Amino acid sequence: MDFYQTWLPFIYLYGIGGIAFVIGMLIIIKSRALRLNYSIHSKWVWTLIYGFLFYASIHALFIFIAIGSK
Amino acid sequence: MNLEVGTQLDKIVILLYFTLVMGFGAYFGKYSKNTTDYFFGGRRFAWWLITISIVATGVGSHSFVKYSTKAYQYGLSSTMTYMNDWFFMPLFMFGWLPIIYYTKVKSIPEYFERRFNSKARYLATLMILLYMVGYIAIQFLTLATALYRIYGIPLMLTVVLIAIATTIYMHFGGQTSVIFTDLIQGFILIFAGLLLFFLGVQFLGNQTGISGLSAFWTNLTPLQKLPLAHFNHPPDFNFVGIFWQDGIAGSVGFLFLNQGLIMRFMAAKSVNEGRKAAAFNVLLVLPISAIVVSNAGWIGRAISNAAPGVLPLELAANDVFVAVTNIVASPGVFGFIIAALCAALMSTADTLVNASSAVIVNDIYEPLSKKIKSEKEKLEFARLTSIGVKVIAVILVPFFNSFDSIYEAHGWFHSTFTPPLVVGVFLGIFWKRFTTPAVIATFLGGAFLMILGQIYPELISPFSHGIELRPGRGYSYIGALYNIFVCAGVGVVVSLFTKPESDKKLSGLTVFDVHKLKEIFKGSEVNEEVGEKLEVNWKLDKSNSDILRFSIKDMAMMKANPGDLVYIQDSRWWLGGLKSAHSIFGEPHNEDGVVYLNQSHLDHGQFVEGLSLKAEKEM
Repeated sequence: MDFYQTWLPFIYLYGIGGIAFVIGMLIIIKSRALRLNYSIHSKWVWTLIYGFLFYASIHALFIFIAIGSK
Repeated sequence: MNLEVGTQLDKIVILLYFTLVMGFGAYFGKYSKNTTDYFFGGRRFAWWLITISIVATGVGSHSFVKYSTKAYQYGLSSTMTYMNDWFFMPLFMFGWLPIIYYTKVKSIPEYFERRFNSKARYLATLMILLYMVGYIAIQFLTLATALYRIYGIPLMLTVVLIAIATTIYMHFGGQTSVIFTDLIQGFILIFAGLLLFFLGVQFLGNQTGISGLSAFWTNLTPLQKLPLAHFNHPPDFNFVGIFWQDGIAGSVGFLFLNQGLIMRFMAAKSVNEGRKAAAFNVLLVLPISAIVVSNAGWIGRAISNAAPGVLPLELAANDVFVAVTNIVASPGVFGFIIAALCAALMSTADTLVNASSAVIVNDIYEPLSKKIKSEKEKLEFARLTSIGVKVIAVILVPFFNSFDSIYEAHGWFHSTFTPPLVVGVFLGIFWKRFTTPAVIATFLGGAFLMILGQIYPELISPFSHGIELRPGRGYSYIGALYNIFVCAGVGVVVSLFTKPESDKKLSGLTVFDVHKLKEIFKGSEVNEEVGEKLEVNWKLDKSNSDILRFSIKDMAMMKANPGDLVYIQDSRWWLGGLKSAHSIFGEPHNEDGVVYLNQSHLDHGQFVEGLSLKAEKEM
């Protein structure tokens, strides 16, 4: 298995997708659509970050397992 | 290949299922009092009900067939389109969702009229209708492909019968029927998919003599265990093309432009409930759905690796799901799993039909009507429209049947119809400088450049990321990147050379005004104090005013003032808000634990005498 099959898709997905995610977060914070001083909104910030890391972890884990399997 | 599947028992199970679901949907028709209820379910449902109803719509019957095919060919990477929707969640949950909810737009085209002008609305209407009707046709084709083999009746006759069956309960029920039918279908869908996985693993264990899960895992190659496809090879299934077609255009299209999905969120009792439904759906339900729709293909691949010859060697792409299910499930169970496929089809098709009819009524019938139409006339027209939409979808089925597979038909659809709308709505929400001439140029100029790309694929080559150009067939998924680029390019260039809209015209229509939307929605200053939810008994008031009157003490506990908005529902949580109403706090009285409501609230909420209600301040 080469880089094109394993880590390149992962890097591309979370690189380009990560840019879209960060720009989205910045837009909603700067426009005050999401207000960090509201307790209910600050919980959502953590949920949003958790969701990003959750998917990245699942994909990374399965790539590691596939590389290590016979 | 002649694939013979199913027994008499399976046929009976499928027919029973259809009868049950149609009766269930028709029962909930009594909750549709007007077009708002018919299309949007009356903005009253709890997040969990919205989430479960989204499951069935999001999965769709084509998904079983489509993903099983790719799972059989390529393994676990078939799940990647289910696991790439989180990137746009911030913009959806805090940008688009509050805009559509608080501005009360009834359709995506209506947003285009408010944000731009009526020409933009009609162009958007045309594109969205083409997209939705085509999508319904794909749903019909998929289910017919599975069923006609079982019943041995011609494909097109099967399509017609399916269209008639879905019409019966939708015609009488509308969105409330759709939501409640999807509730039961969502459960059946997930259960049936997981049951299939369990049966498949057991079958593999019996074939190989080792434990089922171990047999499944060891009989997939390392390549088939990778969660993402090869970066740019082969042309019919590669990571980068599918990322742009599905992860970008598809995700934005699904979250921002899918009228059916948006109507679900508008049926939520509040924006926060909508956010919960969206987050829960993407974080938990989509990964489970990925297993549900793909596992027949994985099991089929593991069976073929472990025991070659059990599955036909020349298995047609679209037959993987039915063939694997037929092998691993016993008679009756096979019928049940195919019935779950019917559930998925009906859920997606009925949502899209209802959404199409909402667009036709709200974006064509109402604006073009010279006389103001009564609710009854509009409701009747909506019901007739839903029949018309199905007729057109049935006529389109042969066109989609001409593609090599449903996966390709669907991929072509996404990359062709979504980019202009995706760019239009996205720049409209998140870029105030985006102008009306620019959105029209995006639709027309963008479409022209997209057609050029179809005719001269070498225009797409600079975007191809090394994907091979197939002679005579052009680029498939990566065409979405070119399409997004040309549409966005036209939109940005024209915006920079035209006069921007005034802030007054854009008020409440871009993400930059979301913080003001609650005030616009309420019509006065917003009360953000967090109060308690109270359980109260109700008494009937003879007043006709749209107010609910609580005691001074109860209002203090809810931190509510006269004029604030209130949501009241039957206190039985499992109804999910089905029996509920929105209103305004009136002047208080002195009877603690009692709310006075009028006949209109009672009719709308269908509250039961002697049963308490739960009240909460909205804002």
